[in-house]
Amino acid sequence: MIVVAALSVLAGTALACFLAVLPGLHIYNVMGLAVLLIYKMQSIGMAVVPELYLPFMIGLVVGWSVLNTIPSVLLGAPDESAIFTVLPGQKYLMTGRGYEGAMIIGAGSLIGLFILVFIVAPFAPKFLPVARNVFAPHMHWILWVIITFILMTEWPKGGTCGPAGWPKFADAWSTLSAGIFTFILSGLFGFLLLYRAPIDIDNAFQNIMPAFVGLFAIPWCLLNVLCGANVPKQYVRDTLNINGDLLLRGGIAGGIGGGFAAFFPVVTGGVGGLLAGHATAQRDERVFLMSQGVSKVVYYAGALMLFFVPGLFLTRGGGAWIIKGLYTPKTWGDYYLALGSIALAGGLSFLLMSPLTKWMLKLMKKVDYRLISIVALGIIVALVFSMTGGIGLFVMVVGTGIGLIPVLFGSRRLNCLGILLLPIACNMSGMGEPIAAFLGLL
Amino acid sequence: MKGIAHFISGVTVASFCPWAVETAQNGNPAYFILGAVAGILPDTVDFKFYRFFYSHDIQIEPHPDQLDPQPVADAVAKAVLLAAEGRRTTLKLATIKMDADNWRQYRVRIDPEAGEVRVQFGPIVSTGQVPQPDSLPEPRSVGVAKFNAPILQSCETTYTVDIFDGPSFAFQRNEAGEVDVDFLPWHRNWSHSLTVGLALAGMASIWTWKAGVVIAGAYMVHVIEDQMGHMGSNILFPFTKKRLPGFKMMHSGDAFPNFVGVWFCCLLIFWNIYMAVENPLYHFGFIRLMMYAMVIPFAVFGVLHQLLVRIDGSEPETQTTEWNI
Repeated sequence: MIVVAALSVLAGTALACFLAVLPGLHIYNVMGLAVLLIYKMQSIGMAVVPELYLPFMIGLVVGWSVLNTIPSVLLGAPDESAIFTVLPGQKYLMTGRGYEGAMIIGAGSLIGLFILVFIVAPFAPKFLPVARNVFAPHMHWILWVIITFILMTEWPKGGTCGPAGWPKFADAWSTLSAGIFTFILSGLFGFLLLYRAPIDIDNAFQNIMPAFVGLFAIPWCLLNVLCGANVPKQYVRDTLNINGDLLLRGGIAGGIGGGFAAFFPVVTGGVGGLLAGHATAQRDERVFLMSQGVSKVVYYAGALMLFFVPGLFLTRGGGAWIIKGLYTPKTWGDYYLALGSIALAGGLSFLLMSPLTKWMLKLMKKVDYRLISIVALGIIVALVFSMTGGIGLFVMVVGTGIGLIPVLFGSRRLNCLGILLLPIACNMSGMGEPIAAFLGLL
Repeated sequence: MKGIAHFISGVTVASFCPWAVETAQNGNPAYFILGAVAGILPDTVDFKFYRFFYSHDIQIEPHPDQLDPQPVADAVAKAVLLAAEGRRTTLKLATIKMDADNWRQYRVRIDPEAGEVRVQFGPIVSTGQVPQPDSLPEPRSVGVAKFNAPILQSCETTYTVDIFDGPSFAFQRNEAGEVDVDFLPWHRNWSHSLTVGLALAGMASIWTWKAGVVIAGAYMVHVIEDQMGHMGSNILFPFTKKRLPGFKMMHSGDAFPNFVGVWFCCLLIFWNIYMAVENPLYHFGFIRLMMYAMVIPFAVFGVLHQLLVRIDGSEPETQTTEWNI
């Protein structure tokens, strides 16, 4: 059975390699499709044992969370957990160091996996049930406080020149207003999707996917296509110019951010990364990039791990919810299976990081960057259409419109997370339905 | 301290109020949001409102393509001399934005002993203040302007101007005849006073005294935290006109104190909401919580940090800039 599980992990990780390089595709969508496939197989009498599909699913999530750095850095097409890596990542790319940037984030991912398996895992069964017991009635206000923080800590980028007065104030507030407007708009969009889901019921598990793709992945691809950035010659360095102390600092910052995001509902890797970045006040770009790599992996793999922690069995993140439809963990054996799968998938995907990045850079050398962006955009649109149809495309276009606001005005792209944060925070505080009724959605 | 430290301090203050925790348990987050907002409000007022309406007598806006340091040095020296003659003079050094994420860095040194201002332009830096390779201007001349006035320097002598908004100064002659250099005169002034905090709390008390207590506590904690730094605050505005110098225990941007502060606040919040759990499944004391969640992890971090620094022997290469001022 161990061999079967190991092979399953490897299969999941191998598939994740391919999927991660595709921009805009979220692994949870693939997991949803995998669940449908398992149901179909079971309905025709084929026995699919948990020891087969659990490691496969974990391999998918872990592999993807490590390797989706590649499109985020090289193509500027992130998911919401990687939004903070785009700008610094592109800076590396534009100075010929795209490989280095991606690998620094990759190193962060490896640190994240180390933190999960060797530091969090031994203590999780003892301490996390305590934390859950204490925090349970307080999740809603924690979410509201996070929303408040996101909205209150955006820095005004304009208003640095000219005489004092209203014009200067207006210039400064153009980015802040755009940020607040984005948050409110995406929040309303979230209400709409939550209370009047336009996606066909058969594809309900993909309900949010077109919106997310529109909000986060399409805008950068679109800008790449329209602005046609010329990517300079890329250099592959033998060393990453980092040391143990930078790894330690990046690990702590990202570990806390990702851990926070994994433990608290609706808080995503992007939000966790933001909080960790502020709390640890790191100025070094390498530490920042590394911490984002840590945060991303701890968020995705950690949320999945929490589902298997004995005495906790916490369902956080899309991956855990999807697996919950198939299987409910019960024993320490399940926990060890999950940890082993995480370790194996993590190690393998990190080893694949370098060759895949080099392959992508080679492709970028041969093919015009704008053409790659067009192809990426085409793949994204095709995926959305194939999974959710024409209505999904429409949702994606609306999402893109909102997602372009922060890109064009220079405000925080994280404000697009209003799509989740606002409706769910309102629901958790019991205000969701009255607001939905006020909006005419009930 | 940094924004997040003030913000979480405000939330911590709210968590010490039993009514805030009780109300939150019943689904109403209002007191915690109030605490968070009041905790960061003094900085919000300064950085997002007041500074855009604060006018300067002299405003220096170097052109990105004409990097002559001499006019900058002359303007700073002029501000000092005007103040020495008895006229309070405010000065603003604008940043030089190159593109969405790059800025031209420059440094200004006001040297009281030499009686001169020295200015030099440096590299292009990212918003993370990381210098870009091969971006130093050629030639890198130093602008020097003399002034003949005694200076009382309460903060630094060298100011680096790079990202977002540049620094501003108020030069004013004091009773001793020295020119007092007031760094960021619009910051930590009236907004960072206990009296304003109390006034806001009074207004909130019209709704409920409980909100007033949360706001007063969170606002005051912000002022007290800032007092740990260098600049200090105008504690009792309008009864006091100037900032009370800080205790100089830390710099506001220092990573470690900020992180310790944030983490300690998180643990206090955890403890306060744990105390409100009626029948907790688990029992532990405050000391045990602090040992497990703060003392031991920080000790491990300290040991690891020392070890890694020793093992590595040297720092990884970073772009550094030579300054000649």
